[in-house]
Amino acid sequence: MLKKLLSFFATIGTALAIPTPPPVDYTHDVRPILAENCFYCHGQDATKRKAKLRLDTREGQLSHEAIIPHQPAESDLITRIFSTKDDEQMPPANSHRALTLAQKETLRRWIAEGASFTPHWAFTAITRPTPPKVHREKWVYNPIDRFVLARLESEQITPSPEAPRATLIRRVSLDLTGLPPTPAELENFLADKSPDAYERLVDRLLASPRYGERMALPWLDAARYADSNGYQQDGDTFQWIWRDWVVKALNTNQPFDQFTIEQLAGDLLPTPTTEQRIATAFNRNHLLNGEGGAIPEEQRYVTLFDRVDTTATNWLGLTVACAQCHDHKFDPVTQRDYYSLLAGFNHVSENGIVNGSSSKVRTAAPVLDLATPEHKAQLAALEAKLAAMKSGELIAKIRSDWEAKVASDEKFPDPAIRATAALPAKDRLELPANNLRRYFFKQVLPVLNPEIDHLLGELNRLKTDEYPRVMVMDDNQARDTFILDRGNYEAHLEKVSFATPTFLPPLPADAPRNRLGLARWLVSPEQPLTARVIVNRYWQTFFGLGLVKTSEDFGVQSDAPVHRALLDWLAAEFREGGWNTKNLHRLIVTSATYRQSSRVTPALLERDPENRLYARGARLRLPAMMIRDQALAVSGLLINKLGGKPVYPYQPADIWDSLAITKERDFTYPQSTGADLYRRSLYTFWRRTVAPANMFDASARNTCKVRTAITSTPLHALTTLNDPTFIEAARALAARTLQATSSRDRRLEHAFRLVLARKPDATEKKILRASLAKQLARFTADPSAAQRFLTVGDIPRDPTLALAEHAAYTAVCLALLNLDETLTKS
Amino acid sequence: MNPLSEAHLQLTRRQFFGRAATGIGAAALSSLLTPNTLAALTASGNGLPHFPAKAKRVILLWQGGGPSQVDLFDYKPGLEALRLKELPESVRSGARLSTMTSTQKKFPILPALKPFKQYGQSGRWLSSLIPHIGSHADELCLIRSMRTEAVNHAPGVTFCLTGSQIPGRPSMGSWLTYGLGSLAEDLPSFVVMTSSDREKTCGQLFYEHYWGSGFIPSKFQGVRLRSEGEPVLYLNDAPGLDRAQKRALLDDIAGLNHHQLDLHGDPETDTRIAQYEMAFKMQASVPGLLDVTTESPATLASYGPDVNRAGSYARNCLLACRLAERGVRFIQLMHGGWDQHRNLSTQLEIQCRDTDQPTAALIQDLKQRGLLDDTLVIFAGEFGRTVFVQGDVTKKDGHGRDHLGSAYSTWMIGGGVKPGVAYGETDDFSYNVIKDPVHVHDWQATILHLLGIDHERLTYRYQGRQFRLTDVHGQVLPGLLA
Repeated sequence: MLKKLLSFFATIGTALAIPTPPPVDYTHDVRPILAENCFYCHGQDATKRKAKLRLDTREGQLSHEAIIPHQPAESDLITRIFSTKDDEQMPPANSHRALTLAQKETLRRWIAEGASFTPHWAFTAITRPTPPKVHREKWVYNPIDRFVLARLESEQITPSPEAPRATLIRRVSLDLTGLPPTPAELENFLADKSPDAYERLVDRLLASPRYGERMALPWLDAARYADSNGYQQDGDTFQWIWRDWVVKALNTNQPFDQFTIEQLAGDLLPTPTTEQRIATAFNRNHLLNGEGGAIPEEQRYVTLFDRVDTTATNWLGLTVACAQCHDHKFDPVTQRDYYSLLAGFNHVSENGIVNGSSSKVRTAAPVLDLATPEHKAQLAALEAKLAAMKSGELIAKIRSDWEAKVASDEKFPDPAIRATAALPAKDRLELPANNLRRYFFKQVLPVLNPEIDHLLGELNRLKTDEYPRVMVMDDNQARDTFILDRGNYEAHLEKVSFATPTFLPPLPADAPRNRLGLARWLVSPEQPLTARVIVNRYWQTFFGLGLVKTSEDFGVQSDAPVHRALLDWLAAEFREGGWNTKNLHRLIVTSATYRQSSRVTPALLERDPENRLYARGARLRLPAMMIRDQALAVSGLLINKLGGKPVYPYQPADIWDSLAITKERDFTYPQSTGADLYRRSLYTFWRRTVAPANMFDASARNTCKVRTAITSTPLHALTTLNDPTFIEAARALAARTLQATSSRDRRLEHAFRLVLARKPDATEKKILRASLAKQLARFTADPSAAQRFLTVGDIPRDPTLALAEHAAYTAVCLALLNLDETLTKS
Repeated sequence: MNPLSEAHLQLTRRQFFGRAATGIGAAALSSLLTPNTLAALTASGNGLPHFPAKAKRVILLWQGGGPSQVDLFDYKPGLEALRLKELPESVRSGARLSTMTSTQKKFPILPALKPFKQYGQSGRWLSSLIPHIGSHADELCLIRSMRTEAVNHAPGVTFCLTGSQIPGRPSMGSWLTYGLGSLAEDLPSFVVMTSSDREKTCGQLFYEHYWGSGFIPSKFQGVRLRSEGEPVLYLNDAPGLDRAQKRALLDDIAGLNHHQLDLHGDPETDTRIAQYEMAFKMQASVPGLLDVTTESPATLASYGPDVNRAGSYARNCLLACRLAERGVRFIQLMHGGWDQHRNLSTQLEIQCRDTDQPTAALIQDLKQRGLLDDTLVIFAGEFGRTVFVQGDVTKKDGHGRDHLGSAYSTWMIGGGVKPGVAYGETDDFSYNVIKDPVHVHDWQATILHLLGIDHERLTYRYQGRQFRLTDVHGQVLPGLLA
């Protein structure tokens, strides 16, 4: 009966099918359906597997008569998915998954056509596809465009015209350096009529030190870089030393394979340089839990898991965390694979404990001591001074005299301290003894001998808070690695040794079985994922979405790329071209695809809302860090200084301490003064427990994040309208404008052009003129309001500028900084 | 305005505050039009709530640090006879301890510091330290058999609020607003307030990930209402810029943006125009919300004297009621101060005094405003505390209890929960659950259920996986439902 019913459905299916549809493609059409609906119980994880059936391999599919090629009506899979009987229907009701009729029909047709099987594309070797032939040869600047245009031509969509030059220079300047063009740069480019003007512009931008600062941003998100540990006292770290390493590596265009090897395993290279050891701080950017009562071994495993997950997501585009507890449900990653990979990170001389209980800085071994000769001389001088004073003996004497006095002082205010002081040292219990010691050093010594106290304080501050110690990697501790039962650090199962996931090409026989072997393997020519994953992320940087939308996941559940051939071509080009990152970026931004106008018509928007066919240029809201940098740049406030300690630009005054319910450290926000208020956002101190308030939509920097969603909420509007950063920038921009030229219209045009790199049109001019008039009238009527408005921010005001006029222009400039076009690269 | 952007405007106007829109529904629709924002949302299904909800909103009264169930909720009269006797090792063997006591050599039993008494018609035994909460005993759904996997604060709180001990997943409030959207017109749908004991006796921080949105879009993260400085970050206009001027300026921004929209056609521009408008409205609605002088003296008095101090737990309870009234979906109060390792003897009473009356007043106030029936109020911390003493019991101000994850108590009241029950049981030492265990994931599943959500079906696709609040665990506990 059922078979009959099925053939009935099959007939309907055939009857309804569009004449000569293209054959069903396993990778594109079938596997996503199976992965989403079937692999949970019929996939890789043997412990969850039902009816001993697996559908993720060819052998599995053909077993149990689940799938009989060319015979859908005889295939059990088809019987089950079309069944309506509770005990037969697949997927079962309690799975909360259901196939649509169209999906069922796809599966039926796939089997009818022979049930072709291809392994998951991303796990197969990268071969360089030939760029396709196109009709409109003239449109093509480089091979990227062939892939894009061929598809557009097949869809009968015309690409958009090239964006106006002013738009183009703003777009590419923001993309490559994170900053808008200066008026001079804009003028030069607009005036440059040579055929390679754009290419030379791109070369100039790629050579700018600002390039490394901009390109570091997504890498810092992926590396979960922050300047504090993220727990309890949220101790500061010196990981910014690694951040500077990244900017430098990007600016010097270190080949990506070397960039990878040094960060993952620089310490294991033969005679590693200091720089190469600093690079390994990548692996030490994780959270560190120094909570009282934390169990060190548990915390050490939390760190290990994080390292494995970060490495897998960042380079392999794989989510392996599931395999902590069990074989992966969808991807061919087993629990054994997971712990074999973890073994590569398990020899660090760390113990899960965070050091530095009395300091604002908290780090965990191993660290690289980067105290300079000056630091060391400072320290030696202090120590010499203390030695000359015989400080040890002196303190001991002061203390014993004081204790004797306290013991006999019946009026001493703290009875507990007194009681302890009265006991001989050997009879004191640990806790009261500690309290006594603390009392002496905090309350007594500063009074009895301020000089020694000062020197000791200085010594402590320099040693613990000032002298940089970046947390890095080593392989100095031999440990056995075990598969952990359900990821429980206390439940050891089988012992494993380091290995790469078995479903991917193996480590070369002579490769070292450690992190260095892993790092080299990640960038080896045979390894199919790294190149794809990385070029996809760079594409995402420029176009908002990657060619594979799920840039964090290239597994079988990943988004099926529209332009797989383009991705593979780029990956091959990148790898075979020596992993040259700047070349890859140049290739992308000089393509016709990139240079298109981002204007969109309703028809195109409906046809391709996500712009995955690239019939137009990208139009995206800028990341919050770039919005701030742009405001500083156009107002002339930006201080372009490369690298160094984090800085503390404007934040709401109580931003840190209002969330701290601890007295264990001072959480006053140490706002910078002078130039450090105007550094690029990259250098803003990133406190994990309270991220900078004006960096909306940013990664929290707790775990590896390779894709951030752009959202739009009223809170963002409040930030760019009311944050002193933007109000001060508007004031500086207004002052700059007032000083530049004298007529109203020229001034409005000047400010507009500084912000948007184009001239306002007639409508815009009209609105701006009216806006200025309204603001001027109001501020003229109330000079004290103008005065107050102009006091926001530390930069002194030029008192020669007329008050009301300066205020009115400031208001208009604030509006300019808040335009959709300003907040967007288009 | 071109027809496309007009259509888009209709769809996206309410994404943030959205009276009519549901998070997934509206977001899924809008994602068709705003590719670079919300595309990933379409992976989830529509149709929320999954079934009729008993509660429309949640007030989570988070008691950070781990309130002692031994002293407050889990009545064990037999302990008195065992005072300072050693806790049998067989009892302790099941539970992990923090390293603060795991090396302790002795584990003397310390019965509840203050006597318990019976409350209400049900005669529920609760501590005499919480008489006001006790006055609602017959409506409380007390859970005495909670279990968690964490032994330390941050992982413990993160586990309860996000379903994972490691930061990075969406918090409960984010899940709910993502699933159900907002009922509030000009306020965020997920609001957070923090407070702590005045002396700040404990060492924890409130981490932003406690109300973060993890990998779902950041518009679903909690918005913190602050008691110092600006109530919402950057809410106040620049000094010297008055409302009329600001209005004019926003109109000019909107004019320029509309002009761009007509030329460029990007629906994102339209969303931006709407969000600036809502920001302006919010600048008026937040001060209105915070102006508690509109409450009657009797109402104010019911929350206790602390209500007059901005940033106190009492004030936050009152604001929670006002937020509920204004349709905010998820209201998360975070109160610190329960981590009483060595100061239970001095601090427990103070902590109860600070929280008992305001908590009870909130319940009463919700009832009076007709909101309790569809508001779920939850009182919970990240774990409980050990029956054995930590520190020196002979010192009046030098002892307390360590963390305990293997058994603790929480309670709920209001929308859809079974009133007047005491669910689950622990052993004689309030140390291990012996009947009806409620794992954190069960607790989460049950909360979602009360909001009309099947916890297995509220999912978000990320990293190739459908994530959910309860990970792959959790079951709804019918014994907690009305």
